[in-house]
Amino acid sequence: MQGRPKLFTSYAADAAIFPTRTQKVLVGLGVLILFLMPFDIPFISGPVPRAFPDDWAIIGGRYTILGQIPILNEGIPLIRFLGDGNWLRPMTEVFIIATAALGLNILAGVGGQVSLGHAFFMGVGASTAAVLGGQSSEKLWGLGLPVWIWLPGAGIAAALVGILVSPTAVKLRGLYLGIVTLGLVFIGIHLSRVFPQISGDTEAGRRYPEFDIRLWKEETPLINVSSDDTVTGILGLNTFEVTDRQKTYFFCLIVLIFMAFLAKNLIRSRTGRALQAIRDRDIAAEVMGVNEVKYKMIAFAISSFYAGVAGALFASFVGKIAGNQFNLFLSVEFIAILLIGGAGTVSGTLLGTFFVIILPELVEKGTEWLAEQESGITGAIADFVLTEGPGDFGPVSTANVAPGWALNVFDWNIVIYGVLIVVFLIFEPLGLFGIWIKIRNYWKGWPFTY
Amino acid sequence: MTVVEDRVAPTPSGAGAKTVASLARDWAQKDPNHIAFREKDFGIWQEYSWADAWELIEVAAHGLLSLGVEVGDRVTIHAEDRPEWVILDIAAVAVRGITVGLYPTNPAAEVEYMLQDSGAVVHLVEDQEQVDKVFEIDPSKIPSVRSLIYVEPRGFSDFTDERLIFWENFLEAGRQHRAANPGAVAARMAAAEDDDVMTLVYTSGTTGPPKGAMLTNANSMYAMNKIIDEKRAYPDNTAPNTSDQILTYLPLCHVAERIFSTWTMLSGGPTLNFAESIETVAINLREIQPTLFFAVPRIWERLHAGVQIRGSDATRFKALWLGMAMKAADKIGKAKVENGGNHTAQSRILHWIFYPLVFRALQERVGLRHCRRASSGAAPIAPEVLQFFMGIGVDVYELYGMTENSAVATVNYPGRTKLGTVGEAYDDIGLRIDEETGEIQTKHPGVFKGYWNKPDKTAETFTEDGWLKTGDVGEWVDGTHVKIVDRMKDIIITSGGKNISPSEIENSLKASPFIKEAMVIGDGRKYLTALIGIELDVVGDWALRKNIPYTTYRDLTEKAEVLEMVQNIVDETNGKFARVEGIKKFRMIPKELDHEDGELTATQKLKRSAMLDMFGDLVESMY
Repeated sequence: MQGRPKLFTSYAADAAIFPTRTQKVLVGLGVLILFLMPFDIPFISGPVPRAFPDDWAIIGGRYTILGQIPILNEGIPLIRFLGDGNWLRPMTEVFIIATAALGLNILAGVGGQVSLGHAFFMGVGASTAAVLGGQSSEKLWGLGLPVWIWLPGAGIAAALVGILVSPTAVKLRGLYLGIVTLGLVFIGIHLSRVFPQISGDTEAGRRYPEFDIRLWKEETPLINVSSDDTVTGILGLNTFEVTDRQKTYFFCLIVLIFMAFLAKNLIRSRTGRALQAIRDRDIAAEVMGVNEVKYKMIAFAISSFYAGVAGALFASFVGKIAGNQFNLFLSVEFIAILLIGGAGTVSGTLLGTFFVIILPELVEKGTEWLAEQESGITGAIADFVLTEGPGDFGPVSTANVAPGWALNVFDWNIVIYGVLIVVFLIFEPLGLFGIWIKIRNYWKGWPFTY
Repeated sequence: MTVVEDRVAPTPSGAGAKTVASLARDWAQKDPNHIAFREKDFGIWQEYSWADAWELIEVAAHGLLSLGVEVGDRVTIHAEDRPEWVILDIAAVAVRGITVGLYPTNPAAEVEYMLQDSGAVVHLVEDQEQVDKVFEIDPSKIPSVRSLIYVEPRGFSDFTDERLIFWENFLEAGRQHRAANPGAVAARMAAAEDDDVMTLVYTSGTTGPPKGAMLTNANSMYAMNKIIDEKRAYPDNTAPNTSDQILTYLPLCHVAERIFSTWTMLSGGPTLNFAESIETVAINLREIQPTLFFAVPRIWERLHAGVQIRGSDATRFKALWLGMAMKAADKIGKAKVENGGNHTAQSRILHWIFYPLVFRALQERVGLRHCRRASSGAAPIAPEVLQFFMGIGVDVYELYGMTENSAVATVNYPGRTKLGTVGEAYDDIGLRIDEETGEIQTKHPGVFKGYWNKPDKTAETFTEDGWLKTGDVGEWVDGTHVKIVDRMKDIIITSGGKNISPSEIENSLKASPFIKEAMVIGDGRKYLTALIGIELDVVGDWALRKNIPYTTYRDLTEKAEVLEMVQNIVDETNGKFARVEGIKKFRMIPKELDHEDGELTATQKLKRSAMLDMFGDLVESMY
């Protein structure tokens, strides 16, 4: 029955995670690209071969518009930069933050329960990981258990705390729930100070367990994730270097894919439909027989589980982290991710995370690159935009501390961030995913409008 | 081909004639896992394999035996298209009964007439709405009706009528009967004869009460052989097969839908997909994307109007593309019309350009992207509509036939299409046009046995030498194709003595998406006039866009702007015809016509005499 995308002969087909072949292929391609990114692929990672070496050539010449884009002169960025490892860390961060954002998406996007306490649940996860997987010392608690215990353990501990919190959500709605969960963040930071045995030093934090996969507490890990390595290729024909960054990247990517599938599956299930019913109108949902108490508890538990796992991953990925890192700013970042990406959808959440994490990096790298430009059009732009010393009037300062009207890159990132949230809320409440939906519907309707 | 010849050859008495029931049984043996039907229920297209279907048919047949159905007893079915319709239809034939279909829109009075006239023994009612019509009838007036099978149990719990039996209980009775008398149905099937009447098809009756045309097993096999198995009638020269999809949505009691859905399924093995209702046809079409599609002109007009309305609502960029594509479609359509339905070099290039840009998406939106053969019949269609569909790459073949000859008469073959004609006679059938009256007459094994209990009417329909009088006036075009002028009794003779065919003018008017009904009047008058009914959705949409406020249908028809627009359409039509055929005046019909009010037949055809009675003052006001 090919070529009939709207013909469903079973509920399984109707609710398939990827209903069309095109979607399957696209998702498959996306995952493949993500897996290939950390490798140096000669053609893609080298400079882009130029069809026209002439500077005035139509494509890729230095004086053409395309030629002005720096990355085109050095290779396609998203694919090239990962090979040398510079961009591997931001990408890994994207995966970890996305895992946490998926959790908040289930709670806030699908279930409609606004929570500002997501950072707190990440903190709970990180602390659990530290106690379960960390090394003990005089001042610190730690059991030194392997990753397959501390990572799920972090999630379960956070989920239990989430269940404890969930009754407030039955009592309160909207803004009030937001305020209560906001309080959690401060309780969490306070607890981290009270228990230095768990969180370590207030300023410096403690070392978190590494991703090495052990069966139990043996010396040499089964799979070594935390240090560089030489791996023998298939059939033993060749060997290649694998850095710890690349391995961490894969580890987090696999966790994310697993968690994203779980989330996608949850949304289409009975639980997911119940949560959506509660989001759209809780009283109506109850009338229809949805047990509000039960499903809000489930939503908090699952959401916190995701946060806990992500918190453990994040702490371990950063290596050494203080308890007050899981603060209000991090919570707000998740809200921003959902708003920019598109609340209620898995793809939107992933897109939003990518956007929110990578955009500041791009602004930073772009400014650095601009500062190096001396002549030509780019030089003129640099003159106009940058404040490199006294007398310049560009809005962007290259100094680390920038008094006066020119802001430095970090401040600009916060401004951009705020503006983006405002712009998306006003013009595209459905986020990046909403833009995609609009594009898709435009072509779906072709050649009509409806 | 051997199979086909085998089917037509007379079967020796006692060996069990080929019937729709034996074909169903053969499919269940040959291809038990193939999907026979799909029915949309709870949002999902539920599937019935041939094994499931035959099991239900056999059980239903035993159920009929348990209700005491004897050879030749009538089983009436009053339901929308649904698997139970087809199951009971085939089950009735399996026990050598006679299936009689009623239109779901038939009001109580017509139900009473048909139950009385056919002498039904078992009557299937779909739901409470249909059973209420039966309860309006005094049981003593329909003494023959012993059982009322109902399918939708909602609303039945309060009824105590002893004749009622729920479908599932009916099947259960069938299972018990099968356990007690295994082989009883098989024995009936083995005794089936070619000359057994398998169904009564009630003619829609534009004049007088409906008459039940008796079709035999041999008639049905002949129709399958001629209409369905004729490979040349399919553009890809392939007869229907198991990979085909059919959407069943027209009333199954009509001979055309029976042929193009049930009989096609039994003949070649396509899957039947039951549309949810007539209102959802557009949505179901998009879901199913049928490969074989038969529609009456009314449906083609609606699909055409749908494209035009949604096109006029398109945003600027889309409207630009659509506009270009429609111009191209117009050119392609014209080229194909002039070239017997074939592409010219220029039209083929235009098609190649616009297919990926617009036509493909357009076909998908209409639901005919996978359609390999579309056909139109049962009423005359405006050539403009056919030309439009030809232009966008959906070739619609007009064909002609009537209940009394099992719909076997003429068809337009791909590549030899002549627009405005109903095509060429099928091979080896007798078809002639009477030289004196111009009436089309046929003679072949598909011609019916006669009208049920009406020998005098039957005698009237045959000529002295045994040819069937169709009542349609036709003429030869280029010696090969038949053009239908009109129904014989509808032809208008003006007081000036001029013979005019009203349907041609009416169809030209109806080609406009704004006009739903048109009736040309002028018999014995000095000039022609017309009663015109508007399409409420389309004109309402148009009025909205022009900022014309209106309240009801009647109010809308009286707006000066609407009258002016209709006048323009009438003027345009007048331009296409000779001066005597011009419409001098017209009046708007002040209400939407309805079957229940007696203005339309069950097949939505105008009852002219009833119209003249009802709107006599309007007509007189024009002279």
